[in-house]
Amino acid sequence: MLHALAPRADFPLLAAQPALHYLDSAATSQKPRVVLDAVRDFYETANANPHRGAYALSAVATDAYHDARTTIARFLGVADADTLIFTRGTTEAMNIVASSWGNANVTAGDEIVITALEHHANFVPWQQLAKRSGATLRIVELTDAQTIDLDQLRDVVNGRTKLVAITHVSNAVGSITPLDEVVRIVRARSAAVIVVDGAQAVPHLPVNFDALDIDFYAFSGHKLLGPMGIGALVGRRAILESMPPYQFGGDMIEWVHDLDSTWNVIPHKFEAGTPNAADAVGLAAAVRYLETLGMANVRAHEIALLELAESRVKALPGITVYGPPAAQRSGVLSFSVAEVHPHDLATILDQHGVCIRAGHHCAQPLMRRLGVSATARASFYLYSDSQDVDALCGALEAAQQIFAYAE
Amino acid sequence: MYQDGLLAHYRAPHNRRELKGATGRATRKNPVCGDEITVMALVDDAVLSDVSFTGRGCSIATASASMMTDAVCGLPAAQSVAMVELVERTMAGAADISAIPEGLAPLLGVVPFPGRHGCALMPWQALREALAGQG
Repeated sequence: MLHALAPRADFPLLAAQPALHYLDSAATSQKPRVVLDAVRDFYETANANPHRGAYALSAVATDAYHDARTTIARFLGVADADTLIFTRGTTEAMNIVASSWGNANVTAGDEIVITALEHHANFVPWQQLAKRSGATLRIVELTDAQTIDLDQLRDVVNGRTKLVAITHVSNAVGSITPLDEVVRIVRARSAAVIVVDGAQAVPHLPVNFDALDIDFYAFSGHKLLGPMGIGALVGRRAILESMPPYQFGGDMIEWVHDLDSTWNVIPHKFEAGTPNAADAVGLAAAVRYLETLGMANVRAHEIALLELAESRVKALPGITVYGPPAAQRSGVLSFSVAEVHPHDLATILDQHGVCIRAGHHCAQPLMRRLGVSATARASFYLYSDSQDVDALCGALEAAQQIFAYAE
Repeated sequence: MYQDGLLAHYRAPHNRRELKGATGRATRKNPVCGDEITVMALVDDAVLSDVSFTGRGCSIATASASMMTDAVCGLPAAQSVAMVELVERTMAGAADISAIPEGLAPLLGVVPFPGRHGCALMPWQALREALAGQG
């Protein structure tokens, strides 16, 4: 019996539905009560528009927002907290870089390097930047274990490469990218800016941005126990200061003349309008909850669950599992079942109270390389336990029973 | 939802074949799962004299396509289009269930699963497209 790392009782939704086996944390995580309390508490005791008021309550709101930023920055190993820009999530973060940095720095003849593993949020913005600018898009392919082919990366990156966008952890198959090696390869061959998609990494592994020698790192709060609609783009100060703003309006300006304006300093230059302070505070509460558990423990728990799940699932007939061995992946198990379409699988599992994702996982280019249009994906997190694995396998067997003689 | 009627159509779909000389064809894809159904129709003198489908899909999409071909083959084209609308209203919970022909009864099992309505409707929407502009 592998117990959960964090008690189910901490999570109101899971506590209220004991028969639910939520195995879709890669899509979004469940929320501990402390996070919900923090958001509510902001609105009940600290709610005012940060930065704008001259009264005590406004100072409380400003401090709460500021403290949230420093808490989250510390969690990510970002010493210069003002280089952590709050965004709606990873998708918005990538679009900020593609638009603000990309439009000003990428032109025809340049090259942009991405990989076949990327989530659409770290694929489509660069694809479209290439189209807009006339730059060439180069896609690094994968090894047989669905990790990024580093030999190919060596071949592809050259003096014309302006930007390399790469995932830290694949949402579809869980592969963990060896970032240190990637950075060495890219830095040795180019002056490219390195952008990393950390959406599936930050919730599951210890991340230290300052130790990584990369230029941008993005993640989404709702995947690490935080509210939806809040995430961040971390960038090196020099780059952020050189970039034009992404959105224009209040807070991001310094002076607004009739015909032109000047910009505020970072992070405000990239945080136009009233910030989502309440959810930033919620995310800080999520970060503190994770710090209490310890990210190394979160990682160890997931490896143990993944090894259990993989061995149980592989023991069933007709199963194909995608991705590298457990030590090189996060808690994502992507698989297909012969004779059972992923959509049918998800429905039958749902009838057994098991929530998995069936589809292309916002990674259509990857699915094409796997030769499938969709896979089933079970993803574990700190509130998952071996009973969830039991339920998954029981439901898979039931699905196979129903479809055993189909085609 | 997965009762024998539906599964029988999935295991051995009716009219999954090419239709030579089709007067109309249309393909619908579901980008979420990659399913793709092509419906081919032969309209002769305003009557749908033959209809078939190709492509691969989940059990719901495949079974629905199979049942559809049985239900509409031989009907006037206009009546086939009306049947598409009936199936759409059924999925939306807005149809009189007694209006559903017996051959389509297994589709009623899909109604409580909104996530699968798109699967059930895919072949019907392709049929309507294939029939468009053919009187």
